[in-house]
Amino acid sequence: MRNIMRKEIRLSSSPLAFLFIAFGLLFFLPGYPILCGVFFTTLGLFQSFQAAREANDTVFSALLPIAKRDVVKGRFLFVCFIELCALVLMLVAVIVRMTVLAEAAPYTANALMNANPFALGAALFIFGLFNRIFVSGFYKTAYKIGRPFVAYIIAAFLAILVFEALHHIPGLGALNAFGTDHLGLQLAALAAGIAVYALLTAWAYRAACRRFEKIDL
Amino acid sequence: MSVVEVRGLMKKYPSFELKEASFTVDAGRITGFIGRNGAGKTTTIKSMLNLVHPDGGSVLYFGKPLLGNETEIKKHIGYSTGVVNWYPRKKIRSIVDIVKRFYDTWDEEAYRKYTELFQLDDAKTPLELSEGMKVKFNLLMALSHRAEVLILDEPTSGLDPFSRNELLDVFGELKKDGVAVFFSTHIISDIEKCADDIVYISRGRIAAATSREDFTARFSAPGETLEDTMLRMERGEGHA
Repeated sequence: MRNIMRKEIRLSSSPLAFLFIAFGLLFFLPGYPILCGVFFTTLGLFQSFQAAREANDTVFSALLPIAKRDVVKGRFLFVCFIELCALVLMLVAVIVRMTVLAEAAPYTANALMNANPFALGAALFIFGLFNRIFVSGFYKTAYKIGRPFVAYIIAAFLAILVFEALHHIPGLGALNAFGTDHLGLQLAALAAGIAVYALLTAWAYRAACRRFEKIDL
Repeated sequence: MSVVEVRGLMKKYPSFELKEASFTVDAGRITGFIGRNGAGKTTTIKSMLNLVHPDGGSVLYFGKPLLGNETEIKKHIGYSTGVVNWYPRKKIRSIVDIVKRFYDTWDEEAYRKYTELFQLDDAKTPLELSEGMKVKFNLLMALSHRAEVLILDEPTSGLDPFSRNELLDVFGELKKDGVAVFFSTHIISDIEKCADDIVYISRGRIAAATSREDFTARFSAPGETLEDTMLRMERGEGHA
Protein backbone atom coordinates (compact mmCIF):
# COMPACT_ATOMS: atom_id res chain seq x y z
CA MET A 1 0.00 0.00 0.00
CA ARG A 2 2.97 2.29 0.65
CA ASN A 3 3.98 1.97 -3.01
CA ILE A 4 0.50 2.87 -4.21
CA MET A 5 0.40 5.94 -1.96
CA ARG A 6 3.84 6.95 -3.22
CA LYS A 7 2.54 6.68 -6.79
CA GLU A 8 -0.54 8.72 -5.92
CA ILE A 9 1.51 11.49 -4.32
CA ARG A 10 4.42 11.65 -6.76
CA LEU A 11 2.77 10.82 -10.08
CA SER A 12 -1.01 11.10 -9.99
CA SER A 13 -1.72 14.13 -7.84
CA SER A 14 -1.88 17.81 -8.70
CA PRO A 15 0.15 20.21 -6.51
CA LEU A 16 -3.12 22.08 -5.98
CA ALA A 17 -4.41 19.17 -3.88
CA PHE A 18 -1.64 19.89 -1.36
CA LEU A 19 -1.86 23.66 -1.67
CA PHE A 20 -5.62 23.69 -1.11
CA ILE A 21 -5.20 21.89 2.23
CA ALA A 22 -4.41 25.42 3.47
CA PHE A 23 -8.08 26.32 2.97
CA GLY A 24 -8.62 24.48 6.24
CA LEU A 25 -7.31 27.70 7.80
CA LEU A 26 -10.49 29.48 6.68
CA PHE A 27 -11.79 28.15 10.03
CA PHE A 28 -9.94 31.15 11.50
CA LEU A 29 -11.98 33.67 9.49
CA PRO A 30 -14.77 35.43 11.35
CA GLY A 31 -17.82 36.58 9.37
CA TYR A 32 -17.13 33.96 6.71
CA PRO A 33 -19.00 30.70 5.94
CA ILE A 34 -16.10 28.57 7.17
CA LEU A 35 -17.40 25.32 5.65
CA CYS A 36 -16.52 26.79 2.24
CA GLY A 37 -12.94 25.89 3.26
CA VAL A 38 -13.98 22.24 3.09
CA PHE A 39 -15.29 22.76 -0.41
CA PHE A 40 -12.07 24.46 -1.54
CA THR A 41 -10.02 21.54 -0.20
CA THR A 42 -12.12 19.15 -2.28
CA LEU A 43 -11.66 21.48 -5.27
CA GLY A 44 -7.92 20.74 -5.03
CA LEU A 45 -8.72 17.03 -5.01
CA PHE A 46 -10.90 17.51 -8.08
CA GLN A 47 -7.91 19.11 -9.83
CA SER A 48 -5.92 16.03 -8.89
CA PHE A 49 -8.46 13.73 -10.52
CA GLN A 50 -8.32 15.89 -13.63
CA ALA A 51 -4.50 15.81 -13.72
CA ALA A 52 -4.48 12.04 -13.19
CA ARG A 53 -6.99 11.49 -15.98
CA GLU A 54 -4.91 13.54 -18.41
CA ALA A 55 -1.83 11.50 -17.49
CA ASN A 56 -3.63 8.19 -18.27
CA ASP A 57 -3.14 7.29 -14.63
CA THR A 58 -6.02 4.81 -14.37
CA VAL A 59 -4.77 2.47 -17.08
CA PHE A 60 -1.18 2.88 -15.93
CA SER A 61 -2.19 1.91 -12.39
CA ALA A 62 -4.33 -1.01 -13.56
CA LEU A 63 -1.25 -2.43 -15.31
CA LEU A 64 0.88 -2.38 -12.17
CA PRO A 65 1.12 -5.69 -10.29
CA ILE A 66 -1.80 -4.87 -8.02
CA ALA A 67 -5.44 -5.92 -8.04
CA LYS A 68 -7.89 -3.54 -9.71
CA ARG A 69 -9.53 -2.79 -6.36
CA ASP A 70 -6.13 -1.64 -5.06
CA VAL A 71 -6.11 1.07 -7.74
CA VAL A 72 -9.32 2.36 -6.15
CA LYS A 73 -7.95 1.85 -2.65
CA GLY A 74 -4.87 3.94 -3.48
CA ARG A 75 -7.01 6.82 -4.69
CA PHE A 76 -9.26 6.67 -1.61
CA LEU A 77 -6.23 6.62 0.68
CA PHE A 78 -4.87 9.71 -1.04
CA VAL A 79 -8.23 11.52 -0.86
CA CYS A 80 -8.65 10.67 2.84
CA PHE A 81 -5.05 11.74 3.52
CA ILE A 82 -5.67 15.21 2.01
CA GLU A 83 -9.02 15.53 3.78
CA LEU A 84 -7.55 14.60 7.14
CA CYS A 85 -4.62 17.03 6.64
CA ALA A 86 -7.15 19.83 6.07
CA LEU A 87 -9.10 18.60 9.10
CA VAL A 88 -5.98 18.91 11.26
CA LEU A 89 -5.70 22.60 10.27
CA MET A 90 -9.39 23.06 11.02
CA LEU A 91 -8.89 21.36 14.39
CA VAL A 92 -6.02 23.73 15.21
CA ALA A 93 -8.27 26.69 14.33
CA VAL A 94 -11.07 25.26 16.47
CA ILE A 95 -8.77 24.72 19.48
CA VAL A 96 -7.31 28.25 19.18
CA ARG A 97 -10.76 29.82 18.81
CA MET A 98 -12.15 27.77 21.72
CA THR A 99 -9.32 28.67 24.06
CA VAL A 100 -6.97 31.65 23.65
CA LEU A 101 -9.27 33.54 21.25
CA ALA A 102 -12.56 32.54 22.87
CA GLU A 103 -13.21 36.10 23.99
CA ALA A 104 -11.80 37.86 20.92
CA ALA A 105 -14.24 40.52 19.67
CA PRO A 106 -14.30 39.51 15.96
CA TYR A 107 -15.34 36.00 17.00
CA THR A 108 -17.88 36.90 19.66
CA ALA A 109 -19.56 39.23 17.15
CA ASN A 110 -19.54 36.52 14.46
CA ALA A 111 -22.98 36.23 12.83
CA LEU A 112 -22.07 33.07 10.96
CA MET A 113 -21.13 29.58 12.07
CA ASN A 114 -18.43 29.38 14.76
CA ALA A 115 -15.40 27.13 14.49
CA ASN A 116 -16.23 24.50 17.11
CA PRO A 117 -16.46 20.68 17.28
CA PHE A 118 -19.89 20.79 15.61
CA ALA A 119 -18.28 22.61 12.65
CA LEU A 120 -15.62 19.89 12.48
CA GLY A 121 -18.36 17.26 12.41
CA ALA A 122 -20.07 19.22 9.60
CA ALA A 123 -16.75 19.39 7.71
CA LEU A 124 -16.42 15.62 7.99
CA PHE A 125 -19.96 15.21 6.69
CA ILE A 126 -19.11 17.31 3.59
CA PHE A 127 -15.89 15.36 3.02
CA GLY A 128 -18.01 12.20 3.24
CA LEU A 129 -20.34 13.64 0.58
CA PHE A 130 -17.34 14.28 -1.67
CA ASN A 131 -16.18 10.69 -1.28
CA ARG A 132 -19.61 9.21 -1.84
CA ILE A 133 -20.84 11.45 -4.64
CA PHE A 134 -17.71 12.49 -6.52
CA VAL A 135 -15.04 9.83 -5.93
CA SER A 136 -17.41 6.90 -6.14
CA GLY A 137 -19.24 8.57 -9.08
CA PHE A 138 -15.95 8.98 -10.93
CA TYR A 139 -15.44 5.20 -10.91
CA LYS A 140 -18.63 4.68 -12.92
CA THR A 141 -16.49 5.52 -15.97
CA ALA A 142 -13.01 6.26 -14.56
CA TYR A 143 -12.80 9.28 -16.86
CA LYS A 144 -15.93 11.43 -16.54
CA ILE A 145 -15.44 13.95 -13.75
CA GLY A 146 -17.87 16.75 -14.65
CA ARG A 147 -21.20 15.18 -13.77
CA PRO A 148 -20.23 13.70 -10.38
CA PHE A 149 -18.51 16.95 -9.42
CA VAL A 150 -21.58 19.07 -10.27
CA ALA A 151 -23.72 16.66 -8.24
CA TYR A 152 -21.28 17.03 -5.34
CA ILE A 153 -21.24 20.86 -5.61
CA ILE A 154 -25.03 20.96 -5.30
CA ALA A 155 -25.02 18.59 -2.32
CA ALA A 156 -22.09 20.38 -0.64
CA PHE A 157 -23.59 23.86 -0.89
CA LEU A 158 -26.98 22.64 0.27
CA ALA A 159 -25.21 21.05 3.25
CA ILE A 160 -23.29 24.28 3.95
CA LEU A 161 -26.56 26.24 3.79
CA VAL A 162 -28.29 23.85 6.20
CA PHE A 163 -25.34 23.77 8.65
CA GLU A 164 -25.11 27.59 8.59
CA ALA A 165 -28.87 27.90 9.16
CA LEU A 166 -29.23 25.31 11.92
CA HIS A 167 -28.09 27.45 14.84
CA HIS A 168 -30.65 30.13 13.94
CA ILE A 169 -33.48 27.67 14.58
CA PRO A 170 -34.91 28.16 18.07
CA GLY A 171 -33.52 25.51 20.44
CA LEU A 172 -30.47 24.75 18.29
CA GLY A 173 -28.40 27.77 19.31
CA ALA A 174 -26.07 25.49 21.32
CA LEU A 175 -24.68 24.17 18.04
CA ASN A 176 -22.94 27.52 17.62
CA ALA A 177 -21.33 27.41 21.08
CA PHE A 178 -18.33 29.58 21.97
CA GLY A 179 -15.30 28.29 23.83
CA THR A 180 -16.10 25.18 25.84
CA ASP A 181 -19.83 25.88 26.24
CA HIS A 182 -22.12 22.89 25.64
CA LEU A 183 -19.05 20.72 25.26
CA GLY A 184 -20.97 17.45 25.61
CA LEU A 185 -23.31 18.31 22.77
CA GLN A 186 -20.43 19.64 20.69
CA LEU A 187 -18.38 16.48 21.09
CA ALA A 188 -21.42 14.34 20.33
CA ALA A 189 -21.87 16.31 17.08
CA LEU A 190 -18.21 15.73 16.24
CA ALA A 191 -18.55 11.99 16.97
CA ALA A 192 -21.60 11.87 14.70
CA GLY A 193 -19.56 13.61 11.96
CA ILE A 194 -16.77 11.05 12.34
CA ALA A 195 -19.24 8.17 12.14
CA VAL A 196 -21.02 9.60 9.08
CA TYR A 197 -17.66 10.26 7.35
CA ALA A 198 -16.52 6.69 8.00
CA LEU A 199 -19.82 5.24 6.78
CA LEU A 200 -20.03 7.39 3.64
CA THR A 201 -16.38 6.68 2.77
CA ALA A 202 -16.72 2.92 3.30
CA TRP A 203 -19.91 2.92 1.21
CA ALA A 204 -18.20 4.99 -1.49
CA TYR A 205 -15.16 2.69 -1.55
CA ARG A 206 -17.24 -0.47 -1.91
CA ALA A 207 -19.37 1.04 -4.68
CA ALA A 208 -16.26 2.38 -6.47
CA CYS A 209 -14.55 -1.04 -6.37
CA ARG A 210 -17.66 -2.73 -7.72
CA ARG A 211 -18.00 -0.19 -10.51
CA PHE A 212 -14.32 -0.20 -11.44
CA GLU A 213 -14.31 -4.00 -11.79
CA LYS A 214 -17.05 -3.76 -14.41
CA ILE A 215 -15.79 -0.99 -16.66
CA ASP A 216 -13.60 -1.36 -19.71
CA LEU A 217 -10.42 0.71 -19.76
CA MET B 1 5.03 -25.40 -22.28
CA SER B 2 2.05 -23.04 -22.44
CA VAL B 3 2.39 -20.09 -20.10
CA VAL B 4 -0.73 -18.32 -21.32
CA GLU B 5 -3.96 -20.06 -22.21
CA VAL B 6 -6.78 -18.02 -23.67
CA ARG B 7 -10.02 -20.00 -23.62
CA GLY B 8 -13.15 -18.88 -25.43
CA LEU B 9 -12.65 -15.18 -24.75
CA MET B 10 -15.71 -13.15 -25.80
CA LYS B 11 -16.47 -9.47 -25.81
CA LYS B 12 -19.40 -7.78 -27.47
CA TYR B 13 -19.51 -4.10 -28.36
CA PRO B 14 -22.33 -2.47 -30.34
CA SER B 15 -20.26 -2.51 -33.52
CA PHE B 16 -17.73 -5.27 -32.88
CA GLU B 17 -17.63 -8.73 -31.41
CA LEU B 18 -14.70 -10.83 -30.27
CA LYS B 19 -15.86 -14.38 -30.90
CA GLU B 20 -14.59 -17.12 -28.58
CA ALA B 21 -10.89 -16.43 -28.99
CA SER B 22 -8.77 -19.41 -27.95
CA PHE B 23 -5.01 -19.86 -28.29
CA THR B 24 -1.91 -20.50 -26.23
CA VAL B 25 1.42 -18.75 -25.82
CA ASP B 26 4.44 -20.93 -25.10
CA ALA B 27 7.58 -20.25 -23.07
CA GLY B 28 10.71 -19.62 -25.13
CA ARG B 29 8.74 -18.83 -28.26
CA ILE B 30 7.75 -15.67 -30.10
CA THR B 31 4.10 -15.50 -31.01
CA GLY B 32 2.99 -12.94 -33.55
CA PHE B 33 -0.61 -11.81 -33.20
CA ILE B 34 -1.61 -10.52 -36.58
CA GLY B 35 -4.70 -8.95 -38.04
CA ARG B 36 -5.73 -5.82 -39.85
CA ASN B 37 -6.77 -2.62 -38.06
CA GLY B 38 -10.01 -3.20 -36.18
CA ALA B 39 -9.73 -7.01 -36.33
CA GLY B 40 -9.80 -7.28 -32.52
CA LYS B 41 -6.13 -7.43 -31.53
CA THR B 42 -6.26 -4.71 -28.88
CA THR B 43 -9.59 -5.95 -27.49
CA THR B 44 -8.11 -9.43 -27.14
CA ILE B 45 -4.98 -8.12 -25.45
CA LYS B 46 -6.91 -5.84 -23.10
CA SER B 47 -9.22 -8.73 -22.20
CA MET B 48 -6.16 -10.90 -21.53
CA LEU B 49 -5.01 -8.27 -19.02
CA ASN B 50 -8.41 -7.63 -17.41
CA LEU B 51 -8.37 -4.05 -18.69
CA VAL B 52 -11.49 -4.92 -20.62
CA HIS B 53 -14.14 -6.98 -18.89
CA PRO B 54 -14.80 -10.03 -21.12
CA ASP B 55 -18.36 -11.30 -21.56
CA GLY B 56 -17.13 -14.88 -21.47
CA GLY B 57 -14.11 -17.14 -21.45
CA SER B 58 -11.03 -17.18 -19.27
CA VAL B 59 -7.31 -16.44 -19.36
CA LEU B 60 -4.83 -18.60 -17.49
CA TYR B 61 -1.25 -17.61 -16.78
CA PHE B 62 1.09 -20.35 -15.60
CA GLY B 63 -2.02 -22.53 -15.19
CA LYS B 64 -3.80 -20.05 -12.89
CA PRO B 65 -6.71 -17.79 -13.77
CA LEU B 66 -5.85 -14.09 -13.85
CA LEU B 67 -8.93 -13.22 -11.84
CA GLY B 68 -8.12 -13.96 -8.23
CA ASN B 69 -4.35 -14.09 -8.85
CA GLU B 70 -3.94 -10.67 -10.44
CA THR B 71 -1.22 -9.28 -8.17
CA GLU B 72 1.05 -12.31 -8.37
CA ILE B 73 0.56 -12.96 -12.08
CA LYS B 74 1.10 -9.33 -13.12
CA LYS B 75 4.53 -9.40 -11.48
CA HIS B 76 5.59 -11.95 -14.08
CA ILE B 77 4.07 -10.16 -17.06
CA GLY B 78 5.48 -7.25 -19.01
CA TYR B 79 2.96 -5.25 -20.99
CA SER B 80 3.49 -2.46 -23.42
CA THR B 81 1.07 -0.67 -25.62
CA GLY B 82 2.05 1.56 -28.54
CA VAL B 83 2.07 5.30 -28.19
CA VAL B 84 0.63 6.32 -24.83
CA ASN B 85 1.56 9.41 -22.90
CA TRP B 86 1.94 8.24 -19.31
CA TYR B 87 2.40 11.25 -17.02
CA PRO B 88 3.56 13.49 -19.90
CA ARG B 89 5.20 16.12 -17.69
CA LYS B 90 7.04 13.84 -15.26
CA LYS B 91 10.62 12.81 -15.90
CA ILE B 92 10.99 9.26 -17.16
CA ARG B 93 13.36 8.45 -14.31
CA SER B 94 10.74 9.66 -11.79
CA ILE B 95 8.11 7.40 -13.36
CA VAL B 96 10.51 4.47 -13.41
CA ASP B 97 11.51 5.13 -9.80
CA ILE B 98 7.89 4.58 -8.78
CA VAL B 99 7.24 1.61 -11.06
CA LYS B 100 10.30 -0.40 -10.02
CA ARG B 101 9.18 -0.47 -6.38
CA PHE B 102 6.24 -2.67 -7.39
CA TYR B 103 8.52 -5.41 -8.71
CA ASP B 104 10.75 -7.60 -6.52
CA THR B 105 12.45 -8.70 -9.72
CA TRP B 106 13.30 -5.24 -11.07
CA ASP B 107 16.61 -5.54 -12.91
CA GLU B 108 18.54 -2.26 -12.80
CA GLU B 109 21.18 -3.68 -15.13
CA ALA B 110 18.55 -4.59 -17.73
CA TYR B 111 17.03 -1.13 -17.32
CA ARG B 112 20.39 0.52 -18.07
CA LYS B 113 21.06 -1.88 -20.94
CA TYR B 114 17.75 -1.12 -22.68
CA THR B 115 18.02 2.60 -21.91
CA GLU B 116 21.30 2.60 -23.83
CA LEU B 117 20.08 0.31 -26.58
CA PHE B 118 16.99 2.46 -27.17
CA GLN B 119 19.07 5.65 -26.73
CA LEU B 120 16.47 6.89 -24.31
CA ASP B 121 17.35 9.87 -22.12
CA ASP B 122 15.54 9.23 -18.85
CA ALA B 123 15.94 12.86 -17.80
CA LYS B 124 13.34 13.74 -20.46
CA THR B 125 9.59 13.75 -19.97
CA PRO B 126 7.28 11.66 -22.19
CA LEU B 127 6.06 14.96 -23.67
CA GLU B 128 9.57 15.56 -25.02
CA LEU B 129 9.75 12.17 -26.73
CA SER B 130 8.94 11.42 -30.35
CA GLU B 131 6.20 8.86 -31.01
CA GLY B 132 8.77 6.13 -31.65
CA MET B 133 10.62 6.97 -28.44
CA LYS B 134 7.36 6.74 -26.48
CA VAL B 135 6.98 3.18 -27.75
CA LYS B 136 10.52 2.48 -26.57
CA PHE B 137 9.80 3.98 -23.16
CA ASN B 138 6.84 1.62 -22.77
CA LEU B 139 8.99 -1.28 -23.84
CA LEU B 140 11.73 -0.27 -21.43
CA MET B 141 9.39 -0.65 -18.46
CA ALA B 142 8.07 -3.97 -19.74
CA LEU B 143 11.58 -5.35 -20.25
CA SER B 144 13.20 -4.24 -17.01
CA HIS B 145 11.56 -6.51 -14.46
CA ARG B 146 12.54 -9.91 -15.84
CA ALA B 147 9.02 -10.72 -17.00
CA GLU B 148 8.43 -14.32 -18.05
CA VAL B 149 5.67 -13.29 -20.44
CA LEU B 150 5.77 -10.17 -22.57
CA ILE B 151 2.49 -8.98 -24.03
CA LEU B 152 3.16 -6.18 -26.46
CA ASP B 153 0.48 -4.34 -28.38
CA GLU B 154 1.86 -3.01 -31.67
CA PRO B 155 5.41 -2.61 -30.30
CA THR B 156 6.94 -1.98 -33.70
CA SER B 157 4.44 0.62 -34.90
CA GLY B 158 6.01 4.04 -35.18
CA LEU B 159 9.56 2.68 -34.95
CA ASP B 160 12.08 3.37 -37.68
CA PRO B 161 13.40 0.28 -39.56
CA PHE B 162 16.66 0.24 -37.53
CA SER B 163 14.84 0.34 -34.21
CA ARG B 164 12.40 -2.31 -35.42
CA ASN B 165 15.25 -4.62 -36.27
CA GLU B 166 16.89 -3.95 -32.91
CA LEU B 167 13.65 -4.75 -31.16
CA LEU B 168 13.15 -7.98 -33.06
CA ASP B 169 16.72 -8.92 -32.07
CA VAL B 170 15.80 -8.22 -28.44
CA PHE B 171 12.85 -10.59 -28.83
CA GLY B 172 15.29 -13.22 -30.08
CA GLU B 173 17.50 -12.79 -27.02
CA LEU B 174 14.55 -12.97 -24.65
CA LYS B 175 13.35 -16.12 -26.36
CA LYS B 176 16.71 -17.76 -25.65
CA ASP B 177 16.17 -16.93 -21.96
CA GLY B 178 12.86 -18.79 -22.05
CA VAL B 179 10.65 -15.69 -22.15
CA ALA B 180 7.33 -15.99 -23.98
CA VAL B 181 6.89 -13.02 -26.30
CA PHE B 182 3.41 -12.29 -27.60
CA PHE B 183 3.20 -9.25 -29.82
CA SER B 184 0.49 -7.85 -32.01
CA THR B 185 1.24 -6.23 -35.31
CA HIS B 186 -0.20 -5.49 -38.69
CA ILE B 187 3.28 -5.48 -40.21
CA ILE B 188 3.62 -8.94 -41.70
CA SER B 189 7.36 -8.66 -42.30
CA ASP B 190 7.86 -8.49 -38.50
CA ILE B 191 6.18 -11.88 -38.21
CA GLU B 192 8.29 -13.27 -41.05
CA LYS B 193 11.46 -12.08 -39.35
CA CYS B 194 11.01 -13.52 -35.91
CA ALA B 195 7.74 -15.27 -35.04
CA ASP B 196 7.71 -18.99 -34.19
CA ASP B 197 3.94 -19.08 -33.86
CA ILE B 198 1.14 -17.12 -35.47
CA VAL B 199 -2.23 -16.19 -34.06
CA TYR B 200 -4.23 -14.69 -36.89
CA ILE B 201 -7.40 -12.77 -36.11
CA SER B 202 -9.87 -11.63 -38.70
CA ARG B 203 -13.15 -9.79 -38.00
CA GLY B 204 -13.09 -10.73 -34.33
CA ARG B 205 -12.52 -14.43 -34.90
CA ILE B 206 -9.27 -16.34 -34.47
CA ALA B 207 -8.77 -17.69 -37.98
CA ALA B 208 -5.59 -19.61 -37.14
CA ALA B 209 -3.39 -20.26 -34.11
CA THR B 210 -0.46 -22.47 -34.98
CA SER B 211 3.27 -22.58 -35.69
CA ARG B 212 4.52 -20.46 -38.58
CA GLU B 213 5.57 -23.56 -40.52
CA ASP B 214 2.16 -25.15 -40.09
CA PHE B 215 0.45 -21.90 -41.02
CA THR B 216 2.44 -21.68 -44.25
CA ALA B 217 1.85 -25.36 -45.04
CA ARG B 218 -1.89 -25.04 -44.51
CA PHE B 219 -2.67 -21.68 -46.02
CA SER B 220 0.07 -20.60 -48.45
CA ALA B 221 0.26 -21.45 -52.12
CA PRO B 222 3.69 -22.61 -53.35
CA GLY B 223 6.07 -19.66 -53.59
CA GLU B 224 3.59 -17.32 -51.92
CA THR B 225 4.87 -14.96 -49.22
CA LEU B 226 3.16 -14.74 -45.86
CA GLU B 227 1.96 -11.26 -46.80
CA ASP B 228 0.35 -12.55 -50.02
CA THR B 229 -1.30 -15.36 -48.08
CA MET B 230 -2.78 -13.00 -45.55
CA LEU B 231 -3.96 -10.52 -48.16
CA ARG B 232 -5.69 -13.35 -49.97
CA MET B 233 -7.27 -14.63 -46.74
CA GLU B 234 -8.46 -11.12 -45.81
CA ARG B 235 -10.07 -10.80 -49.23
CA GLY B 236 -11.94 -13.99 -48.38
CA GLU B 237 -10.42 -15.95 -51.22
CA GLY B 238 -10.07 -19.08 -49.13
CA HIS B 239 -7.22 -21.53 -48.69
CA ALA B 240 -4.51 -22.12 -51.23
